[in-house]
Amino acid sequence: MSATVNMPGSRLLAAYLGEIRFEFIKALRTPQFAVPTLFFPIMFYTLFALALGSRGGGGSLTSFANYGVFGCMGPGLFGFGVALAVERELGLLTLKQALPSPAGSYLIARAVMAMLFVGLITLMLMTLAVLFAHAPLTLGQATQIFCVNVLGTLPFCAIGMFVGSLVSGQAAVAICNLIFLPMSFLSGLWFPIGILPKFLVDIAPTWPAYHLSQLALRAVDAPNSGSPAIHVLALVVITVLFFILAMRRLQSGGYRLLGARPRRTLAIVTGTAAVVAALLFAGVFGGRATDAASAATGAASAATGTPAPESPAGVAVPQVVELSNFDAGSAATAYGVGWGAAGDDMRGGNSHATQQLVDGGAGSSKGALEVTGAIGDGIQYPFAGTMFFPQGPPMQGLMDFSGKKTLTFQARGDGRRYMLMVISGLAVEGIPLMFDFETGPDWHEVRLDLAKFGSVDWKRVRAIGVGTMGPVGPFRFAIDDVRLE
Amino acid sequence: MSQTTLASLKGVRKRFGAVQALDGFDLAVNRGELLAVLGPNGAGKSTAIAMLLGLQSPDEGEAQLFGVAPQEIDARRRIGVMMQEVALPAVMRPQELLEQVASYYPVPYDIDSVVARLSLQSLMKRPYGKLSGGQKRQVQFALSLCGRPELLFLDEPTVGLDVQAREALWKVIRELLHEGCSIVLTTHYLEEAEALADRVAVMARGRLVTSGSVEEIRANVSHKQVSCVSRLAADTVRAWPEVVRLEMERDRMQITTRRAEALLVRLFREDPELADVEVRRAGLAEAFTELTNEKNKEAS
Repeated sequence: MSATVNMPGSRLLAAYLGEIRFEFIKALRTPQFAVPTLFFPIMFYTLFALALGSRGGGGSLTSFANYGVFGCMGPGLFGFGVALAVERELGLLTLKQALPSPAGSYLIARAVMAMLFVGLITLMLMTLAVLFAHAPLTLGQATQIFCVNVLGTLPFCAIGMFVGSLVSGQAAVAICNLIFLPMSFLSGLWFPIGILPKFLVDIAPTWPAYHLSQLALRAVDAPNSGSPAIHVLALVVITVLFFILAMRRLQSGGYRLLGARPRRTLAIVTGTAAVVAALLFAGVFGGRATDAASAATGAASAATGTPAPESPAGVAVPQVVELSNFDAGSAATAYGVGWGAAGDDMRGGNSHATQQLVDGGAGSSKGALEVTGAIGDGIQYPFAGTMFFPQGPPMQGLMDFSGKKTLTFQARGDGRRYMLMVISGLAVEGIPLMFDFETGPDWHEVRLDLAKFGSVDWKRVRAIGVGTMGPVGPFRFAIDDVRLE
Repeated sequence: MSQTTLASLKGVRKRFGAVQALDGFDLAVNRGELLAVLGPNGAGKSTAIAMLLGLQSPDEGEAQLFGVAPQEIDARRRIGVMMQEVALPAVMRPQELLEQVASYYPVPYDIDSVVARLSLQSLMKRPYGKLSGGQKRQVQFALSLCGRPELLFLDEPTVGLDVQAREALWKVIRELLHEGCSIVLTTHYLEEAEALADRVAVMARGRLVTSGSVEEIRANVSHKQVSCVSRLAADTVRAWPEVVRLEMERDRMQITTRRAEALLVRLFREDPELADVEVRRAGLAEAFTELTNEKNKEAS
C-alpha cells in the first residue's frame, strides 16, 4: 500500500481517450453549441450556395471550400473558448486539477472534440456538394480538404482558448461571436473578397480564416492566391501565439493544464501533433512535388530568418509594343503561344466559346479577332472568351511584364459588359485580376495602367483573357490591336 | 494507529493581496485517521486544503503529499477529492462521470460496487443537472471515492443532505476508515466532526490554534455548561463574575462558566428551590467558540 501504484500505459491511454469521448458526448448534448456549430455551415451552404447560387452553378468548389472554413471556426471558438470560460467559472477546471486527470488531457480532449466536429461538418458539406450540386469533387480533393479543415480547427481553438482564459462564460459568447462573423466576412468566406473596399482586402492576411480559406481553395483546385507555405506559417504562428498567451493567463490564475512538467507534456503533444500534421500535409500537397519543395524552403527560411531565394520571374517580354493586331490572318502573337478560345468545361462548367478572324478591324485595319459563344449555368463562376498564354504549357509558362506600363486594346461587342482577366503569381489558381469594360457596336479603346493593379504579380503573368462571366446566354465580341507599352 | 504522515504543510505562508490566508501553518495527516479541520469562515481552511491538493503553491514553507509535491500526478493518483464549490457538467450522467473519474486511477473500484454502496442506482442514468442538491452531493461523494484513494479530502460533504442521507454517508465514511482509508474533512457541522473525527485541527486567522482528539480538545477547554430552572432573574445571574455567558431556553437557564462548583454554591444559596440541575463539560461547539474567540482576541 505504501509503494506508489504505477499507472499502466494502457490505462493512461484509455484515460486520454475517455476524456475525448466524454468531451464529444458533452458537446453533442449541449444544443446551444452543437446546433449552431454543426448546422450553420450546412444551412448557409445550402441557402446561399446551393439554392440562391444555383443560377451560377452551386457546384462550385469555391463555395464548398469556403463554407468548410466557416465550419472550422465555430467548434474551435465556441467549443474551446466559451466552454473553457464556463468550466473555469464553475470550478470544474479546479476539480480536474485536484483529481489525477492526465497531463494536458483537458486541452487535448477539447481540441480533438473540435476537430471531430469539423470532420463531421466537412463530411456533411461534401455530401451536399456531391449529391445536390454535382460538384466535381475528386477523392484526392476530398481527402485534402478534409485534412485542411480538421487541422485548420487548431488556430481557432487557440484563439478560443485565449478568450476563454480571459473572460467569463457570458462575455466569451459575445466575444467569440464578434470574432466569428466579421472574420468570416472579411476573409471572403461568404462573398469573393474582391468586392470589399481595398483597405479591407489589404488587411485580409491578418485573419487566420483568410489563410485557411486559401489553403482550402487550393486543396480543391479552386482559384486561390498566395503561397501555401506562407499560409501554413501564418496559421502556425497564430496558433502558437494565442496558445502561449492563453497558457500564461491560465497559469497566473493557478491553472496547470499541462501538469507538473508543462514543458515535457508540451513537447510530447507538439511532437505528436507535428508528426500527424506533417503526414497530413505531405498527403495534401505531396502530389505536387514542386510546390511542396517550395513550401518547405519557405517554411525553413522563415524558421531560420533567412530570406527565401527569389522565385524565378517570368521570361521578360520583348521590347515589341504590339502583342497582336490580327491583320496577318492568324491569332498568333508577337510572343507567347497566341490567342485561343476558352470555355469553362475544364472546371466542370458548360460555357463555351469559338473564335475566328474577321475583316474590318479597329481604325480601318485589316482584321480583328471575334469571339462568340454562350455562358452556361454549370458552375458558380462561369467564363468564356479568349485567352493568351506565354510560352510553355497553358498556365505554366510565366512572363515578366514588369517592364511595361500600360495595356491597351480595341474592343466592340453586343453591349454586354466584358472583362479583361490577368492570371499571375506562383500559385496556379491565384485570384485573377478582373477588369470590367463596356462594349458597343463601335470600336473603342480599353486602357489599363498596370501600376494601379498591385494585386497582380506582373513579373509572373500566366495568362491574359478577354471574355465574360455572365449572365447566362449567348455573347459576341471582338478585340484588336492589343498593345503593351 | 500508525504514525506515517501522508500529507503535510510545514510553516506555510500564503498571502492573497492584503489578506494573509495562511500565516505559518503546520498540519500533518496521518495514515488511518480522520482529521477534521475546523475554523470560522476566513480562517484559511480552504487555502490549506488547496495547498495539499496542489491547487495553490505556498509563498513560504512546504506542502507535501505522499512525500512529494502535491502537483505530482503520482501523488494525486492516491487521493480522492470532493470539493464544495464545483458544478459538474449538467448534461452528463452520473454513470459517465464515474467512468471518467475512475479512468484517472490505476486501480479504481468497480463502479457498480460504488453505486451499490451508496445506493445511487436510481440516479445513474439521469442527467446530473436534473438531480437535487443532495443527490448531486452524493454523486460527488461517489466520484471522490471511486478511485480507491488512500487519502480522501472531503470539503463540507453533507451540506444539503437530509438526515437520512447524512447518516448513510457517515456510515460509509466510517467503513472507509475501517478499511484503512485516511480522510481530511472540513465541515461547519461540529457534530459531524464530533461524530467522525479521530483528531481535530482548529484554525483561526491562518494559524493552527490547537489539534488533538475531540476529547482532548474538550478537556483543554475550561468551560462547563450548567443548565437549571431557577426563580432568579436572568440579568441578575448574568452579572455574576462566575458567569461567562447565559442564555434562556424557555424557562431553563443555560450558563457557560469556568467555575462550575462556585457557581452552583451561589445558585443554591440565592435560590434554594433551584431545580433540574445539569452540569456537563463543554461540547466541541463551545470549545470551538472559546478557542477561536481567544485566538481572535489575542490577535486584535
